[in-house]
Parts: sequence; C-alpha cells; structure tokens
Amino acid sequence: MRILVVEDEPLVAQGLKQGLVQLGYAVDVAGSAEEAEGFVGVEEFDMALVDIGLPKADGLHFIRQLRAAGKGLPVLILTARDSMEDTVSGLDAGADDYLTKPYRLPEVAARIRALIRRSNAIADACLRHNGLCLDTRSRSAMLDGDALDLTNREWAILEQLLMASPAVVSKDRLVNSLAGWDKDITPNAVEVHVSRLRSKLAAGNVTIRTIRGIGYRVDAPEN
Amino acid sequence: MPADRKSPGLRQRLIVALAVPLIIILGVSSVFDYRMARSMSDAASDQGLADAVFDLETHIRNHGLTSRLDLNEESEAMLRSNAPDAIYFSIRDAAGQVLAGDQDIPVFALPAGGKLSFFDASYHDTAMRAAVHRVSIEDTEISITVMETTRKRQRAQREILSGLLLPNLAVIIASLLTVLFGVRRGLLPLGAVEREIAARSPHDLREIDLASSPHEIHPMLRRLNQLFVQLREAAEAQNRFIADAAHQLRTPLAGLQTQIDLAVSEGSFSKNEGRLQSIEQGTAQIGRLLGQLLSYARAEASGSLPGKPERVALEQIVERSASTFFDAALAKDVDLGFDISPVVVTGLQWLLAEALANLIDNAIRYTPPGGCITVRCGKADGKAFLEVEDNGPGIPEAHRQDVFQRFYRIPGSPSNGCGLGLPIVREIAELHGTEVMLISAQPSGLRARLEFPLPAND
Repeated sequence: MRILVVEDEPLVAQGLKQGLVQLGYAVDVAGSAEEAEGFVGVEEFDMALVDIGLPKADGLHFIRQLRAAGKGLPVLILTARDSMEDTVSGLDAGADDYLTKPYRLPEVAARIRALIRRSNAIADACLRHNGLCLDTRSRSAMLDGDALDLTNREWAILEQLLMASPAVVSKDRLVNSLAGWDKDITPNAVEVHVSRLRSKLAAGNVTIRTIRGIGYRVDAPEN
Repeated sequence: MPADRKSPGLRQRLIVALAVPLIIILGVSSVFDYRMARSMSDAASDQGLADAVFDLETHIRNHGLTSRLDLNEESEAMLRSNAPDAIYFSIRDAAGQVLAGDQDIPVFALPAGGKLSFFDASYHDTAMRAAVHRVSIEDTEISITVMETTRKRQRAQREILSGLLLPNLAVIIASLLTVLFGVRRGLLPLGAVEREIAARSPHDLREIDLASSPHEIHPMLRRLNQLFVQLREAAEAQNRFIADAAHQLRTPLAGLQTQIDLAVSEGSFSKNEGRLQSIEQGTAQIGRLLGQLLSYARAEASGSLPGKPERVALEQIVERSASTFFDAALAKDVDLGFDISPVVVTGLQWLLAEALANLIDNAIRYTPPGGCITVRCGKADGKAFLEVEDNGPGIPEAHRQDVFQRFYRIPGSPSNGCGLGLPIVREIAELHGTEVMLISAQPSGLRARLEFPLPAND
C-alpha cells in the first residue's frame, strides 16, 4: 500500500510518515500542492492524506485537480480547521473523510483502513475486516480462510456493518436494509439475526458491539 | 434613568408645545364668541326698545301733539308690558317740559343731529337701558325716551355664557385628549425601537432595521448602527484572533502528538511509563482546549445564529454522536447508551451537535469507570428535549451557576477538564433561545437538559 502525505509542516509530515511506515505502508511526503501534483503524475497511490493549509495552492485545490484528472484514490483531509464550512468544502472538493488536528496515530490508521476497505470493496467487490472477507459478487463469506455460511439477512446486516465501520449503524437502518427481504421485519428480529451472526463469528477476530438504544458496530481491529 | 428628570422627554415637550397654544387659541376664540353673541343679543334688545320708541311716535302722530298726551290705559299697559323688565318712558318738548310719561326720567344729551340713540343709565338705583329719539311733529321738536330694566339682557348674557362655556370647555378637553393620545401614538414607533434595543442580548450586534422605524430618527439609528458594526468588527476580530491562534497551535501540536504516539509504539519510554502517560495526558488536554477555544469563539462570535435556521432532526445528531463517543466510553469502561425518539427542532445542526458533543464529553470525563451515561432526545410536554444523564458525582447546587463561567473548575474535580464545555453549551443554547438545565439525577449524577419549542408546523 502506497500513501501520499501532503503536508508542509515537517514535524507533522515526518511523524505521520514514521507512524505509517511502522504500520507497513509505503509513504511519500510532498510539502506543497505543486509537489504533490508532480508525484501523482508519475506514481500510483492507494491513498492520500492532505493538509488543507498549504503554501500557495491549498489542499482543496490539489484534491480538485486530482479528481479532475480522474484519480479515484481515497483522500483523507487532515486539517487544523474544523468549522462546518471547512469540512463541507473539503468533502465537496472530493475528499472522502476528514480528521481534525491534533489527531492520534491509531485514529489516523483506523480511518485509512476504513477508507481503503471501502475503496477495495468498489475495486474487487470484497469487504475485508480482520480475517473476515465478504465477496459481494459471489455472495460468499470467508472467516480466517474457512467458508462462512450466512443467511441472506445475516449477510445484509454484516455488509451494512462492514461498510459503515468504524461508525455505528442504527437498528432502524438495519431494519430498512432488510425490508427488501422481509417487509414486516421488527427491531427484535434484527436482534435475533445479530445474535446468530455473533455466534457464527465467535471463532474469528471480529466482534459486533451493541450500542444501547442505537444499534451495532463492527469493532476496529485494535479493540 | 436620571437623565429623564433633568431634561423633559420628547413626549412632554410635544404635549406642552401643542397644548399651551391650543388652550390660548381656544380661550381667545371663546371670548370673541361671547362678545359677538352678546352684541347680537344686545342689538336685538335695543331693537325692541327702538320699536317701543317708534310705537310712541306713531301714537303721537296719530293723536296729534297736545300739551297733555292722552295715552289711554290700554295703550299704556301695552307699552309698559315687557315682563320681566319694567319699562319707563317720557315725552318732552324742546324746553324739557314732560308732556307725557314718567316725570323723573333723566334727560340724556343727544349728540348733535342725532336721531335715535341708546344709553346705559341708572334709575332708582337700577341699571337701565334707554333709547332716546328726537322727532319733529307738527313743527314742534320733541324727544321720546323709553327706558327698560336690564333683566332680560342679563338673563340673555347668562344664557350665552353658559351656552358657550360648556361646549367650549368640551372642545378644550377634547383637544387636550387628542394631543395626549396623538403624541403618545405618534411616538409609538420610538417605543418599538427602544424595546427592540432593550430586548437584545449584549452579544446581539446586528444593525437595527431602518425600514420599520420613522425616518426622523434614521440619522440617529444610522449612527447607532455604525457603532454596532464597529463593535461587531471588534468582536469578530477578537474571535478571529482566538481562532487563528488555536489553528496555528494545532499543527505543531499534531506533530507533538504524533511523536508521542510513535514513542508509545516504539516503547521509547519503557523506563518510565508514568512520565509518558503524563505527557500524553497533557498533550491531549492542550488539543482539547484548543478545540474548545475554537468552538467557543465560533459560538460566541455573534449574538445571532451564525447561519439560517433549519429543521434539525435531533435523533440524527444523537445517532452520529454514538459513533464519535463510543470508543472513548469503551476506553473508560463507561456504559454509553441512548434512548431516542424522532424529534425536529429549528436551529443550526452543527451547533447543536457541538453542544451535545460537549455534554457527552463532560459526562464521560466525570463519570467514574463502571458508570452509566444515557443520551436522550424526544418530545415531552409540548417541547423537544435533548439531555445527557450520568451517574457520576454530579454538580453541587452551590456551583450550578459558576460552571457556566469560562474556565471555571469545581474545586477538587478531576484535572483533565478545561472549563469551557458548559459555557459553550450555554452559548449555543442561548443562540437557540433556550437555556441549559442542570438537574440532579437520582441517586447520584447529573442530568443536563436542553428544551426547545417544537417547530410551528410540526
């Protein structure tokens, strides 16, 4: 996995690079939007971390250039500005997610994994998470190399949870996503399906947490 | 205000300026009315007196001028009957000899060449009006004097006076009332402007809308608006400075934080884990403080909502907060749960999310491990509510007001807060026209609650 870090502050850029290298990513650092544009012209990146406040052309400009050039790689904005307008304009420019400084390295790593997971799901139609793999084309599931037998409803629930991770998915949303299979599905029925899913996943390293009063979440690998 | 006593108000000035001339004009006009009515009534009475003189003259012409004029009783009674006034008369020749009538009637000096003249006189100590006529009958010059008491005239005067006095008094009172109400009504827009300014919060520095106020005070309001703009710019500059400073600090802090995270993963502080933890906590607290400073500066920037109010579904804000705070609650072993039903309020979504984030953050911060936090939203008693309840130590009654002050910390509370959470929540609540209620939870803990009016079309 190759990641481009666009950040003009050396302390931040070097820290990010070291942290991401430790996690096994290949990292290139660009100190300006112009330099970053040069990089993406000659190299293929799986992901870009972009600071908004850059000298001369800002990060938003770079992201727009990237999207205009037809590059679909996931972009995570790292910004010191967290006002609504800033984040909205970042997402409008074509970024996929944003983090506000100061961030924690594990948080950055989790966001990177989530973005790459989603981008891979689009590329090879597979949702991967800690040894769990959902192949959305063949509708087959594997857990730590073994085939996992899932009912249609369990599949739909797990797919929703994996797509959203690390965000929480409300029970209502799960009910809605199951409505295609079962018109009169109740929140209680969702609970039954989730509890069956849990026992099927018990052998592996994937847990589904209950958030009291809201819904469920597939936990990030660290937890 | 003391200024009110020193200089008379606009209303007082207007009332005095209008009422005094009005009363004078009405008074003078009443006097003229009275005099005119009286002179007309006097003229009519004089005409009656003259008629008596001419009747006598006709009588003399018909009966001839004899030394002793014979007025039979009937004609004399007719002449004298003018109740309630008594009539006296005399007919004298040129030498002053009384030919007929009352002997002791005074002689009046007729102006030269004058024919019929009227005089005010006194007769037997009674006020009289006399008409004297000089005629020539059968080549003899005689003067006819008819005199009557003035009872009818006085009665007419009284009637005129009372007939004029009451309506004129009514007109004066009506005019005064018109002035009072007119001035009050005319000054109503001023009162409206005054109330609008008085109702403002100290942070509300929006310009006053000139369209709804009378144009006479526009120059004054424009000056006031200029002042508002200047104050607003000053406040904005200050908040911008805070925001810029916080932004500028965030980047090096991010670098520092990353280095600490690297040190943790590399085990660089294996000799002294406690020191690393202190550094980590300190850095995290600075980061949080910067974030709080930014959101406080944003929330406090203007007294009005910094955007167009929209319909906000509270349950969606609460749902999103679950993703944000679940890990922090897990890490602290606090059970973070939710109890939500759909409800819509009017406001700004990001501000309400900010308020909720601060309430949940506080709850996690101050609830000991093993504790329980429940976030609720929904409708109750015709209002929308959003609340966060924990079973932590709560806030003692004595500190309930102080905790809304910036940087206030309850003595003895854990050291990782920065004292901006509740002030931010209060700013946001005020921007939404509501307040933060701090309620004791049972058996222990705090329930922080915001209530909003339901949108009208809900």
